[in-house]
Amino acid sequence: MSRDAIIRAYNEAVFDTDKEAAFEVVNAALSHGMTAEEIVFEVVIPGTEAMMSAITKDPDANLAQHFMTAQIAAEVTEKMLTRFNHPPEVIGRVVLGTAFGDLHSLGKRIVAGCLKALMVEVIDLGVNVPAERFVEEALKHEAQVIAISSMMVHTATGERGCAKVRALLREAGLEGRFKIVVGGAPYRFDEGLYRTVGADNWAADGVAGAKLIAQLIREVKA
Amino acid sequence: MTPLEILAAAVTGQTAPRIPIFCNLLDQGARELGMSQRDYYASGENVAEGQLRMRARHGYDNVWSLFYVGKEAELLGCREILCCEDGAPNVADFVIKTYDDIARLEIPEDLTAHPAWQETAKCLRILRQEVGATHPICAYLTASTTLPAILMGMDAWLELLLSGPAEVRDELLGKCSLFFQKEVAAYRAAGANVLIYSTPFGAPSFLGMKGFKAFALPWMKRDLEPGGIGGIVYYCGMAPFNSVIEQVLEELQIGAYYISPLADLGEAKAILGARGLTCGVVDDIKLIGWTPGQTRAEVQRLCEIGKPGGHFLLGTGVMPQAVPEANIRAMIEAAFEFGSYP
Repeated sequence: MSRDAIIRAYNEAVFDTDKEAAFEVVNAALSHGMTAEEIVFEVVIPGTEAMMSAITKDPDANLAQHFMTAQIAAEVTEKMLTRFNHPPEVIGRVVLGTAFGDLHSLGKRIVAGCLKALMVEVIDLGVNVPAERFVEEALKHEAQVIAISSMMVHTATGERGCAKVRALLREAGLEGRFKIVVGGAPYRFDEGLYRTVGADNWAADGVAGAKLIAQLIREVKA
Repeated sequence: MTPLEILAAAVTGQTAPRIPIFCNLLDQGARELGMSQRDYYASGENVAEGQLRMRARHGYDNVWSLFYVGKEAELLGCREILCCEDGAPNVADFVIKTYDDIARLEIPEDLTAHPAWQETAKCLRILRQEVGATHPICAYLTASTTLPAILMGMDAWLELLLSGPAEVRDELLGKCSLFFQKEVAAYRAAGANVLIYSTPFGAPSFLGMKGFKAFALPWMKRDLEPGGIGGIVYYCGMAPFNSVIEQVLEELQIGAYYISPLADLGEAKAILGARGLTCGVVDDIKLIGWTPGQTRAEVQRLCEIGKPGGHFLLGTGVMPQAVPEANIRAMIEAAFEFGSYP
């Protein structure tokens, strides 16, 4: 199997949201002598980026495609990382969680899965995260981005969610150090809502969120 | 005409003085009664009283028997609901934590004997006594394909659905469909007559058209066939679904469709015509930040699209508590003004 054929087969598997097929391609690549590093940087990352780009442009893209893209990307990357000779260089760090009072974890999981494959270190704080913890963990891990997911209106707009994270950063003089990104259903119904809650930017879905976070990390580090 | 008669006229296309006007002020009832969410939702009497007061104050047509969506999970064993004062309660304890829990999941033989049903029954009894002869009483029922999300979490459900063992998935769906069939029968028997069928997987944005046809449609048929479609409203959790209306009409014969604010209402109305009730929905998240003037303009826009030819209802989403009272008033006043027929 040539390298081009491997890349093509992997991309097809990801576009078909076929996890089994993606792993078959990866195993075939290993048996053909590709290293784990080559698989991640020459197959997985370009494949994930291509899928992310395609589904963010496609108005008919669906939740299953978003979910499986993230699942495949995260699982293949994790498996390959265990075979790396040296730990890979991450492009940056994000602390990620759902807003205080919100227990919906799907969007966060899609974001985290895609980011892992883009070599972004994800500090996943889980669900129902107090604002103070977002700031503490961002400082502790020297993150560039704080990402807050909300599925419910009151957790998006409430005083203990993103608005409080912004207030805490302002009080501590840390606003220049971190970018805040929000995402989740309420933001799709009001595209200006992210500004109201004090975020720097927002994304309409998990895949777009991962792309945005990777871009903001580069901006903060520039 | 009573609101119930106005609704019936909109469904059948008969003459009526105005369109039906539905508004969903669920959590606002607690504030109205000066109670915490936890205290409010602990009692069917409170929920009924809150609903009756909100309806009396604003003059819209419907009342709700819904406490919160997680109530269905409580009927299936959920023991912890996270309450907060500024928004809807949500499920904090998943009934299904491992696939073994799916085998153990039991659908109560008689839902109405379950302790978690008793407050709902009280609420419905009061609503039926007070306004049942004149006003529509709404109930909220989750489709079999979506109920797993509140039993195990949406991401765990998607993982099982998309890449888990098919026999485990089908066992869970079978149990959830049986639950739906029992639940819809219980609500009908208790007096609910507008049954919001919450079926987000019935929108193509969840699994695509292929998944809609191969997965969602057959399970929706299984949910609905035993009890029929009387009073059922097709609702996809605010996701757009115009592209499947034709197939839902053909395959399920559902008579009412709650159109997402993100969808093209004119397109939906053109597809449905006189074959079903088109429900135009005000974007309740934008309502938080709009002025009363903007609210009025949006209601006028929706009525101008939907009202010609009848078969139209104006409704809202779940109306977050952050929606200002002035906007609720402006919305209802505009609905009566622009929703009236000459």
